[in-house]
Amino acid sequence: MKKKVILVLIVFTALPLLQSFCGFYVSTGDIKIFNQASEVILVRDGNKSTITMNSDFQGDVKDFAIVIPVPTVLKENDIKVVKKDIFNKLNKYSEPRLVEYYDEHPCEPRIMYDEMVVTKSVSFNSSVAERKKEKELGVTIEAKYTVGEYDILILSAKESTGLKTWLLQNDYKIPAKAEEVLEPYIKSKMNFFVVKVNLAEMKKLGRDELSPIQISFESEKFMLPIRLGMANANGAQDLIIYAFTKNGRVESTNYRTVKIPTDKNIPTFMRPKFQDFYKDLFTKQYKKHGKNAVFTEYAWDLSSHNYQKCDPCSTTPPSYAELKDAGVFFANYRTPQGYQGSDYEGNLFFTRLHVRYDRANFPMDLQFQETMDQQSFQGRYIMQHSVNVDMQTCSEGKRYYNDVLSRRENELETLANLTNWDIDSYDDYTNEIRTKLGYKTTKSETKKGGFFFFSKGNKPNKTLPTLLLLSGLALVSFLIYKRKTIFPKLGTIKSFLF
Amino acid sequence: MNTTTLEFPKNNILSLLSDARHFQILFLGSFLVLVLFANDFPKDFLFQIGLTISSCIVFQLLFSHFTTKNYSSWKSALITSLGLCLLLKVDNLNWILVASLLAIGSKFLIRYKGKHIFNPANIGVVGTILFSHHAWISPGQWGSNIVYLFIIGSLGFLVIKKVARIDIALTFIATFGGLLFIRNILYLGWPIDFWTHQMTNGTLMLFTFFMITDPMTTPNNKKGRIIFALILAIIAFYLTTFNHFYAAPVLVLLFMSPLTIIFDKIWKSEKYSW
Repeated sequence: MKKKVILVLIVFTALPLLQSFCGFYVSTGDIKIFNQASEVILVRDGNKSTITMNSDFQGDVKDFAIVIPVPTVLKENDIKVVKKDIFNKLNKYSEPRLVEYYDEHPCEPRIMYDEMVVTKSVSFNSSVAERKKEKELGVTIEAKYTVGEYDILILSAKESTGLKTWLLQNDYKIPAKAEEVLEPYIKSKMNFFVVKVNLAEMKKLGRDELSPIQISFESEKFMLPIRLGMANANGAQDLIIYAFTKNGRVESTNYRTVKIPTDKNIPTFMRPKFQDFYKDLFTKQYKKHGKNAVFTEYAWDLSSHNYQKCDPCSTTPPSYAELKDAGVFFANYRTPQGYQGSDYEGNLFFTRLHVRYDRANFPMDLQFQETMDQQSFQGRYIMQHSVNVDMQTCSEGKRYYNDVLSRRENELETLANLTNWDIDSYDDYTNEIRTKLGYKTTKSETKKGGFFFFSKGNKPNKTLPTLLLLSGLALVSFLIYKRKTIFPKLGTIKSFLF
Repeated sequence: MNTTTLEFPKNNILSLLSDARHFQILFLGSFLVLVLFANDFPKDFLFQIGLTISSCIVFQLLFSHFTTKNYSSWKSALITSLGLCLLLKVDNLNWILVASLLAIGSKFLIRYKGKHIFNPANIGVVGTILFSHHAWISPGQWGSNIVYLFIIGSLGFLVIKKVARIDIALTFIATFGGLLFIRNILYLGWPIDFWTHQMTNGTLMLFTFFMITDPMTTPNNKKGRIIFALILAIIAFYLTTFNHFYAAPVLVLLFMSPLTIIFDKIWKSEKYSW
């Protein structure tokens, strides 16, 4: 009894302390990590949702079109166009980051640092155009608006073939496979938000690129209809979701939501390769989690009472004006208070999710829920720089360089584990230190294998499927072997039912 | 309190498994270990597991001490704690203690005719969510992997078979799955993998094979259990489909549990004992 109580106490005292992040943010250039990704801002409070979609449409704007299932007939003031900058801002604020630290000199402690910044951004895929013959096709135009540079129609339909025909007749390029998803949306009483560019308006407004579209509606459904978008895409698509809610982290309810590996020490030569590093890290995680998980890349409490809105900050946290652009309808202005005080008041939580989806692995639209989880999270990768030490004059030099050597070995191993990169070619990274220590330099064979079938090297991780398969086989053989004992009444299985 | 339903050879490792609770512990425990392996042993989750298991067992022993003085029930407490680990998410680990206290406490305090009314893990999870606003269920957290279905299903089958509660699980899953199939595939016209994705949901599997099958908190009579499962499935289907409330089965079970008393009055049968 006493033992049990002690156990509880130990667990209690070991409760995780408030995590603190630090280090200096490192710029890794202006290259996009995922330049084929779509971006969406999701704002949700109660039953009200605001969704902002960013399009990085590359072709001729007259070919641009979007068809989105929406739960209600949107009113004109539920539809807005916003500035594209907001997406760059949110991306910069929340994207996975590289931070760096400098060792203290083992004999003459002092701190050095430098500070820089990174960026990355996105795209959105779609197709469209417009005209009549609605009635016989069962298509009704519920509303018609011109907002910004867009002509917008809200359609309802009776059946999918009619809708498809209407869309094709009106020059909306609808993919061949779209019909199988149009049907369920129509029967779920969804309307269709259909957008194409009004070239005259665009010219009048003097815009040279397409603005993100923002729609607001009331619905119990907290979801993103990704199925329609899959109909025209070959292969997997990347989607970045920036979610704003009042209480806590947003997660998917019908797919696993997994945090991206973070706080990993990686070699210092990674600075120019950071984009490739993170891309490969993401791909590895994506495969590891069965190609159907949703990844949390960032989560932070942005409430006005929380003064630390990022750490390290890659840019300033979103301001009231930016939140309004993002569609955060529940944000209220206030005069900024105190050092780093926000110019809005109230509770606000920001989540960044990253999904790579395709038809085979995502049979359902993404559904979400807001959790009560307010813990901060960020994808953060650390470079620890060593200092130059004169081994002659500094008595601590040898111990210091030994530490650096083992640290660098670990960093290389982490790199291989996270990305499956071949680390053989980075021998110089450790040999540099070996030379300083007067050790023999090595040409390492890759540390392959790992423990049992837990591959550490360059092979994809099949741990879980293998384990499951083995336990399944073991179970089946066990059942067959002991069938007489376990199922003594196998013949009377019906009696269990009724 | 020691009726064995099957004759296993004594002094054999199999004799250990003659208690269905051992199967459950083995299964839920290995599921947890698999999950930990697959996620590189997340620290927070390890803390949560440690705290849930230890607090449930401590509460169980404390309550036993002041009531029955029968300490053998720590196994049930372990199963309850494993269920809590697999279903409940909290933002602060202190709420785990609340959940454990609710779960174990309800077993001792909310009783009728020698049976506790609520499934301990169920009331622990739902109670904490309703009262604390710091807890939630992540219906998607175990993914929708068909392999999980196979493993959980067959192991679950074994457990239920041993406690003779296969009827309630099969009725529930067939009704719930059937309704979803009619609505989503036959009526709305989603492709078939939409449905398999829903049905292979790990949380749903755990609920079906490890929560509603609890012999202590379901009607004693077979007919009663089947009707109980039917009602549960229909309400859960309605809430999931029309109210977009994806953790519905777990919540509905809590509110239906008191009905067990009425069911037991209508259809009489002997109380289950481990």
